[in-house]
Amino acid sequence: MNTGKSHTMYPSTSGTSVVGLVYDGGVMLAADSLGSYGSLARFRDVKRLFKVTDKAALACSGDIADYQFIREVIEQKVRDDVCGGYTRELNAGALHCWLTRVLYNRRSRFDPLWLECVVAGYKDDEPFLGYVDKIGTAFEAKEVATGFGLHFAVPMIREAREKKQNLSCDEARKLLTECLKVLYYRDCRAHFKYQLADITPEGVTIHDDLNLKKETNWEVANYISGYE
Amino acid sequence: MALEMMMSGPDYMRDPRKHQFSPYANNGGTSVAIAGDDFVMIASDTRLSRGFNIFSREQDKVFPLTPKTMMASSGCWADVLTLNKVLQARLTMYSHEHHDMMSTTAVAQLLSTMLYWRRFFPYYVSNILAGIDEEGKGVVYHYDPVGHMEKLTFSATGESVSQIQPLLDNQIGGLNMLGVKPPTMTKDLARQLIHDAFVSAAERDINTGDGIIIHTITKDGKTEETVKLRRD
Amino acid sequence: MSILNYNGGCVVAMKGKNCVAIACDLRFGVQSQTITTDFERVFELGPQLYIGLPGLATDTQTVYQRLQFRIKMYEMREGRRMKPQTLMAMAQNLLYERRFGPYFVEPVIAGLHPSTKEPYICALDLIGCPCEPADFVVSGTCSESLYGMCETTWREDMEPEDLFECISQSLVNAFDRDALSGWGAVVHIIEHDKVTTRYLKCRQD
Repeated sequence: MNTGKSHTMYPSTSGTSVVGLVYDGGVMLAADSLGSYGSLARFRDVKRLFKVTDKAALACSGDIADYQFIREVIEQKVRDDVCGGYTRELNAGALHCWLTRVLYNRRSRFDPLWLECVVAGYKDDEPFLGYVDKIGTAFEAKEVATGFGLHFAVPMIREAREKKQNLSCDEARKLLTECLKVLYYRDCRAHFKYQLADITPEGVTIHDDLNLKKETNWEVANYISGYE
Repeated sequence: MALEMMMSGPDYMRDPRKHQFSPYANNGGTSVAIAGDDFVMIASDTRLSRGFNIFSREQDKVFPLTPKTMMASSGCWADVLTLNKVLQARLTMYSHEHHDMMSTTAVAQLLSTMLYWRRFFPYYVSNILAGIDEEGKGVVYHYDPVGHMEKLTFSATGESVSQIQPLLDNQIGGLNMLGVKPPTMTKDLARQLIHDAFVSAAERDINTGDGIIIHTITKDGKTEETVKLRRD
Repeated sequence: MSILNYNGGCVVAMKGKNCVAIACDLRFGVQSQTITTDFERVFELGPQLYIGLPGLATDTQTVYQRLQFRIKMYEMREGRRMKPQTLMAMAQNLLYERRFGPYFVEPVIAGLHPSTKEPYICALDLIGCPCEPADFVVSGTCSESLYGMCETTWREDMEPEDLFECISQSLVNAFDRDALSGWGAVVHIIEHDKVTTRYLKCRQD
């Protein structure tokens, strides 16, 4: 297609899975901090999870540049809301809905923001966890993941829920780290450094620079043979 | 899917690093609507999927439009959401202008027009609209993605349409049954047929399952009930 | 469009109580143009042994003739009737021989065991992968519609008359929603002492 102007139709520096889940009394969200350039582990300390307001956090996988762009836009939007002073604080539901429109609009102009976003937070005192992708597919669920997380993390969380409906904060945190560990083992584009956001009615807490390395065990790797 | 495979080669032959942008996705979903003399029933399954992933097991695909009409849509979920949002806005504008709700026939025509406006970049959506018309009778309208519209008394659409539609033709339309008069539709019969149809579809179609939400519209209002389906 | 859908047509087989049924449509077309409406794609291979071969019409005939040849050779050599299970293995073998240049047919086999009279049905894909379920098998251009119909109408242990009604309604209503099959149908009900063949009247469009 030659329209005289070409758009980005593939991601450049990209981030892999984001995992999020709702637990009893809050929502948790995690993403590792690797920016891959094709198969090259190019940037090992990119943050792709941020606090939007006291009621919302956003994490994205996909193109890092597009994420940083949308973050700027959202941060400016939040500043405008604060300065205006007459709008309600941007909650997770509103942010999710807004993102749906922005991403759908960009895909309709054939100039997509190459992202899969997970919005976590609160909407009218109810925990909220939602997903939006680059074409505007959006839904809410009790457990959400992007990329490889859809294959590995979502089944793990659903299985844990079969055993116990309501997860406590500690159980949720443990489960989420377990998910990230599995992803680190099996997803070549995953990394051991990660960020985790915990959103409760009190606000958003972001834990930066967390590390999985000490918890992983690669001894079994020596037993794998036949692929050399 | 088989056709896609043949054209682009098997997935293991494709370069894993190359991405191709497509503005559409298929998120599955099946809907059925059956009209009676003084009611209409519209149901959809509750699975939202993409490829082999299940995004959600409890996504209702039937949207309330006016107190007398509902629309079931499935296909590309991004388009479903957008179409629904724009349609809602148009209905609100109408109600503000006219101090009245839009009639079912008018909503049906509006939907067709809106779909055709996107004729050359279509909403990738299969729709059924169900409602109570001006005479208080149940009606069903079936659409193709670019706005072709047909008024019917029963219809299926979406991923499992080919499994369900022949069954409805036979059981409601009374097709191919010599000397058998088509049944007069009751709520119980409609509910039973919808249930059977979805159970069969869930048995054979991986994109249909998890549950059904059945909405009933009468002149007195709307009711809704949920039924479980297999979750594998 | 796939070459399997070039001529159109469909076959369905069902198990009943001590009986089996196999049915097909009668259309022979070239894409959307109908050529004849008397093209039977279910063939008798033994007293209680039938095979349906929907797919590319030329391969329907070739595979039928080759199978007939092999069955005759088998029955001469062995001096006994062929079991439906053996026919399945034979068809599988015939199809897999052409693994990388296949016959474009997806056979359906229905029959009774020559001595025990045990009902048997099975379906194969075009390279011979078998499927032997306990209820019904479908194949051809309207297989999705057939699945929908059969899944709702099929019941366990149907008597021959009920089985006839079930398979006929399933087939006719399914192919009425398919442009590539229809134009009449033929149903064979196979019982231990007789085979009843009926031609169905149905819409011609």
